[in-house]
Amino acid sequence: PELEPECRSLLAAFAEGSAALTGCLGRRARPVRLCQGCHGHYRHLLAQYGSIARAVGNSSESHNCAKSILTSDRLQIVVTLSEFFNETWEAANCANCLKNNSEGLSNSTEEFLDLFNKSLTCFEHNLQGQTMSPNNYTEVCKNCNETYTKLNDLYNHLQRMNRQGGESGHSAHLCIDVEDAMNITRKLWSRTFECSLPCSDTVPVIAVSSFILFLPIVFYLSSFLHSKQKKRILILPKRIQSNASLVNIQEKYS
Amino acid sequence: QLTPSSFLRIGQLSNVDLNEDIHELETELPRQRPNEIPHNEKLLSLKYESLDYDNSENQLFLEEERRINHAAFRTVEIKRWVICAMIGILTGLVACFIDIVVENLAGLKYRVVKDNIDKFTAKGGLSFSLLLWATLNASVVMVGSVIVAFIEPVAAGSGIPQIKCYLNGVKIPHVVRLKTLVIKVCGVILSVVGGLAVGKEGPMIHSGSVIAAGISQGRSTSLKRDFKIFEYFRRDTEKRDFVSAGAAAGVSAAFGAPVGGVLFSLEEGASFWNQFLTWRIFFASMISTFTLNSVLSVYHGNAWDLSSPGLINFGRFDSEKMGYTIQEIPIFIFMGVVGGILGALFNALNYWLTMFRIRYIHRPCLQVVEAMLVAAVTATVGFVMIYCSRDCQPIQGSSVAYPLQLFCADGEYNSMATAFFNTPEKSVVNLFHDPPGSYNPMTLGMFTLMYFFLACWTYGLTVSAGVFIPSLLIGAAWGRLFGISLSYLTKGSIWADPGKYALMGAAAQLGGIVRMTLSLTVIMMEATGNVTYGFPIMLVLMTAKIVGDYFVEGLYDMHIQLQSVPFLHWEAPVTSHSLTAREVMSTPVTCLRRIERVGTVVDILSDTSSNHNGFPVVESNPDTTQVAGLRGLILRSQLIVLLKHKVFVERANLNLVQRRLKLKDFRDAYPRFPPIQSIHVSQDERECMIDLSEFMNPSPYTVPQEASLPRVFKLFRALGLRHLVVVDNRNEVVGMVTRKDLARYRLGKEGLEELSLAQT
Repeated sequence: PELEPECRSLLAAFAEGSAALTGCLGRRARPVRLCQGCHGHYRHLLAQYGSIARAVGNSSESHNCAKSILTSDRLQIVVTLSEFFNETWEAANCANCLKNNSEGLSNSTEEFLDLFNKSLTCFEHNLQGQTMSPNNYTEVCKNCNETYTKLNDLYNHLQRMNRQGGESGHSAHLCIDVEDAMNITRKLWSRTFECSLPCSDTVPVIAVSSFILFLPIVFYLSSFLHSKQKKRILILPKRIQSNASLVNIQEKYS
Repeated sequence: QLTPSSFLRIGQLSNVDLNEDIHELETELPRQRPNEIPHNEKLLSLKYESLDYDNSENQLFLEEERRINHAAFRTVEIKRWVICAMIGILTGLVACFIDIVVENLAGLKYRVVKDNIDKFTAKGGLSFSLLLWATLNASVVMVGSVIVAFIEPVAAGSGIPQIKCYLNGVKIPHVVRLKTLVIKVCGVILSVVGGLAVGKEGPMIHSGSVIAAGISQGRSTSLKRDFKIFEYFRRDTEKRDFVSAGAAAGVSAAFGAPVGGVLFSLEEGASFWNQFLTWRIFFASMISTFTLNSVLSVYHGNAWDLSSPGLINFGRFDSEKMGYTIQEIPIFIFMGVVGGILGALFNALNYWLTMFRIRYIHRPCLQVVEAMLVAAVTATVGFVMIYCSRDCQPIQGSSVAYPLQLFCADGEYNSMATAFFNTPEKSVVNLFHDPPGSYNPMTLGMFTLMYFFLACWTYGLTVSAGVFIPSLLIGAAWGRLFGISLSYLTKGSIWADPGKYALMGAAAQLGGIVRMTLSLTVIMMEATGNVTYGFPIMLVLMTAKIVGDYFVEGLYDMHIQLQSVPFLHWEAPVTSHSLTAREVMSTPVTCLRRIERVGTVVDILSDTSSNHNGFPVVESNPDTTQVAGLRGLILRSQLIVLLKHKVFVERANLNLVQRRLKLKDFRDAYPRFPPIQSIHVSQDERECMIDLSEFMNPSPYTVPQEASLPRVFKLFRALGLRHLVVVDNRNEVVGMVTRKDLARYRLGKEGLEELSLAQT
């Protein structure tokens, strides 16, 4: 009825690891920093689960922890927990911004986060001088434009690389930290500061489109006036005309 | 006094003597300039002949039949199945080719335009992007239109009216030639890539028919190669049956609907339908969709995925997620009414436009210019709508291949651009399956309006293009709008899933425009993959047809009438029982005697004032008591072969003929018989006699003079005849009934009306 002592220790270690990872995920939920902050915990948990699953032992029944912990009951909590963490990690696609051995952030991610922090500092810096007119963000737009454009270009570049890298079996998204950071910056830039591109060029567009739309009218009018209308030459059929048939068809008209 | 109604006897004088009972009268032709009227839809053209569907059972044919034994007949049967399989495979491959090339070329064009727009959004100068888009469209469509207008005009349009006529038995010149197939395929690719509001499904039916007509003959007359197989099938009877199979294979490849294809052929060509033919047609269409499916799966990288059975794929309609309840049936019927009205509007506008085009824009260069202008205007309308739209939506996943940001915030994309930058097929599928709330009603409404007028303007241009997908798209758009407004009105009730209403709207609009009932129901049922949707779709289509028919007829029928084709409907007009064969027939008839002088035959064939193709053969030397009774019927094509091989009585007597003429000689000359002008007959040969007994059809179908029009019509239509001889009670020939004589009676708005013949 009770577990083996080794299996019990493995289970306790797993429980502690899960609690730590859950706490980390919860703390770093908004703004999303979980790939950066929790990858250590996740790796640790993976290792613990692995040691449970692998603990088959040297063909001795008493060391079969996998069976006794994982599959002994209907609920299978350990398996459920492990699956939950795996799925969340996959959905976040943290593998995208970590290095291959999952021991730290990759170079491109570091670069991105660096630029991100620069943008935020730039925003703060320029906002501090906004005591007079709190809704006028032209200063921010002007000064931080370069940084923001660099950030945006880097993000698009990362997205393109990701799409090329794997099409089948690979998520189309970047890792959630990067995506969320970009989303926040974009919302600030476009919604709060309203620094988006202005709608320019209205007059030439209207001119060109009216010209193109006017051409068919000219075409149809000129063909109506100049073309010879297609006429059909009637052929008279060779038939017997009898008054009986005239009467028959005539009756239908009356 | 009887006054001739203006609908009849246009430009004729007729003398009517009321005091005589039945008096044979000849009309007096006014020897002034021939009567010219502007083109209208109440004309029949003389250039359309009938197919020779009825077999000429002359002695040669009977000898051949006696020679073939049972085993050889089984070989013929197996060959028929092999041909149907080949038709299916080739049609599937052609459909794949079209799909792949369109995807790649259209993708290239969108990428170029999108990059250009992205570049110029920041810098300014978006009018250059507009010019670029319009120019790209116009140049691609120019190429597509030039090949159709100058090389093969019969490839214009969707091809469905032409194939309907062919299955009806009308020989439309050049409709099933290899050149037509090549031009059609290239034309449809260029039209779709050129951004016109068209679809590529309709031309598939025409392509399938051409493939069928080509393969079943075992040779190519255009390429002058004879593979010496399938010689038994070189006549109109077999060719028309195989063309039915080809049309069905085309429908099946276009929509992934094999049974719908079979029913399409059944609905259109109801002559001599039998079980074996149905079975073979079904075989061809199944193979066609399977070929398309497997090749496309391999191309997309998941071999044997088998998820694209047709060129358009409506996606899965699950009954759980998108079910309907019985309370929604009246709503669907209402949508059918709306679809019928809108379809009638579409057809009426297109009618006036086509009439204008036939009367004023008949030179090829003008037609090309018109097509280019339509392409440029389509691009302009799209650009202006994208430019003015302020509707920005974040992109979910990769549902849009070419998202356009324009003036939206970063991370969001212009939703009007997703409607215009997608191929129409993808837009339709998106309208069916996107979750509620994906579309802004204003955007959708503007898009529907613009696309309706663009599609109406585009159909009838001298390009190869279909009208199925634009109608589905218009219907799906307003159907979705309907569903959105319904859920808004009922404050978000769960059963108002807009995707379902998009499907019903699409069915209603398509039914309102083309008015095909049985085949369209089955096609949509198979395309949605769900039999439970069949009942509401059928109701919607029937309602749309009834409502639409009240105003104007279907688009394809309208175009057939505008082209003055002598099309025979399923039955004679209902009030025509009082007309007899005597009033309908053409008389006098040019007859030949059984043993006729060669000179007379040549003169009759060379007569340019009348282009007869069938001549009754009467007894040679009647004395005063014996009448010149009908002995048989011989065709112009047979006479030409006889003249070419110089099968004269004198030559046979002198043993100058090396061998007897066989049926193979007639089959070799089929289908392009040489004209009479290319046959040289010397003066001496003109005095020779030619014996028609072996070669004429000794048992032609005849009707007595008093037979009513419906009876004559039924005989003619059901057997697929070309000539029907009218005899009196002494078996003397009094007249001949051909297709033009029957097709001129139509049920118009005020009753029975008669169409006039015209030279076109």
